[in-house]
Amino acid sequence: METIIPTTSAALTSLLRADFTTQWRNRRSVVLTLVVPVIILISWKPLVARLGGPFVLANSITIGLFAAGLMGYTVAVARDRDKGIFQRLRVAPVPSWAIMASRLLVQVVMIILITTAVFVIGKDYDGITLTVTGYIFTYLTAIIGGSISLSLGQMIVGFIKNPETVNATTRLVYLAFILVGMFGELKQLGEIGDEAVHWSPYGTVKTILLSSMEPSGWDSHATGALFLTLLYIVVFTTLGIKWFKWNSK
Amino acid sequence: MTDRSRSHILTVESLNIYYGKFQAVKDVSFSVLKGEIFGLLGPNGAGKTSTLSAIEGLLKPQSGTINVDGYDANEKPLYARASLGVQLQSTSFQPELFVIEVLQLYAGIYGLKLGKDQILAILKDINLEDQAYKKFGELSGGQQQRISLVIATIHNPKLVLLDEPTTGLDPQSRRQLWERIEAIRERGHAVLLTTHSMEEAEAVCDRIAIIDHGRVIAVDTPQAMIDKHRDDPDVIAASRRGRITLEDVFIGLTGKEVRV
Repeated sequence: METIIPTTSAALTSLLRADFTTQWRNRRSVVLTLVVPVIILISWKPLVARLGGPFVLANSITIGLFAAGLMGYTVAVARDRDKGIFQRLRVAPVPSWAIMASRLLVQVVMIILITTAVFVIGKDYDGITLTVTGYIFTYLTAIIGGSISLSLGQMIVGFIKNPETVNATTRLVYLAFILVGMFGELKQLGEIGDEAVHWSPYGTVKTILLSSMEPSGWDSHATGALFLTLLYIVVFTTLGIKWFKWNSK
Repeated sequence: MTDRSRSHILTVESLNIYYGKFQAVKDVSFSVLKGEIFGLLGPNGAGKTSTLSAIEGLLKPQSGTINVDGYDANEKPLYARASLGVQLQSTSFQPELFVIEVLQLYAGIYGLKLGKDQILAILKDINLEDQAYKKFGELSGGQQQRISLVIATIHNPKLVLLDEPTTGLDPQSRRQLWERIEAIRERGHAVLLTTHSMEEAEAVCDRIAIIDHGRVIAVDTPQAMIDKHRDDPDVIAASRRGRITLEDVFIGLTGKEVRV
């Protein structure tokens, strides 16, 4: 009897169905990733007139993307690795990349959902609207910005094996991003500090989101932020893949 | 396919596995025939799980070859894995998924298109139809083992690998699992299992290999192994009731020292 290898697309479809179901059953944690972005949208309403709607939206989306990537994807990967779920999948005739690709595709949908939620609340509560081009470009840059948080999460889960330590680390990094973002906006860190925040992963993601909301204003500064974002993604992903072990034992 | 691979479903030759400088598996060679239940016995840390992990494709050996149903596990890993059904020592499935969804997932990744009714029929066959919409973690140990075994065999594999399948089971569940393992053999498939239970090895295995300190030190049928070693001084010294058992042979060959 000839051995039949299932097609990668068939395996990926099954993995996606399971991963989307898992995400749906964890919808409370999905809602939690939106808490801080929504707080920003609500509390910064008085700043819309002074700083501009896109500025508020960009900060809100940036925080949401880091919440989803760090606390959603990373914590789930650490938990499933520790429980041996990946090992069970890997003994099946499915390429290892397909297991991760399925997880990442779910996260791309999450990025789109977070971005949409911020757009909807931003419009309804703060009265912020963008042009159609602005919305489309922002979705694209949100996926790029989300990739930076996913790759950073991959690097953390690659470097740290213990799931509790991963959990604690991602929360600390997330908190650091919020604080860095906030202080960076207040210009309280001095010239060097402000520059560092501006070109940090948080800063570059915020810059490309902000610039894509008003595409006509896209300048060389935004292009530089985009290239740096891509560089961060390459570095974090390379290290994340290099360090990652499928088994935490 | 070679003539040899027609009679052997699994051939392991000169397998060497290192963890850093520590050599866990040393020049291990053995083969499993089609339609036989083969047991891999050894104390803790003897190299059983490392050997099994290499066959499963979970770790890459430093040297040696593994051939599953004519496919080199290193050169054609997906074909080798498609020929295998695997139950890991501590299997866990996504805790958010219902049992029926876990079965759907594994049917799908093995390329099977099973409808809901077909999956419920599979669950009915193992008396777990009423557990279809429970989560895996909500099942008892015996029920989890039955689900794990049914997932390991869902694609009708030619060789089933079971890593300590009866650990933690009560006697009824253990006996039931032995019957299921024998049923796999009756369908013409082979089983390679690891176990600490000599009773299990004697009850279900056609042949066994004893592995110690990373080396295979004996391969034979359980009875032939008893007959061959019954006069060894170490085996006689290990005997507790005058009658030589497989456990006496095992202790005689591997020593009384407790392994961690």
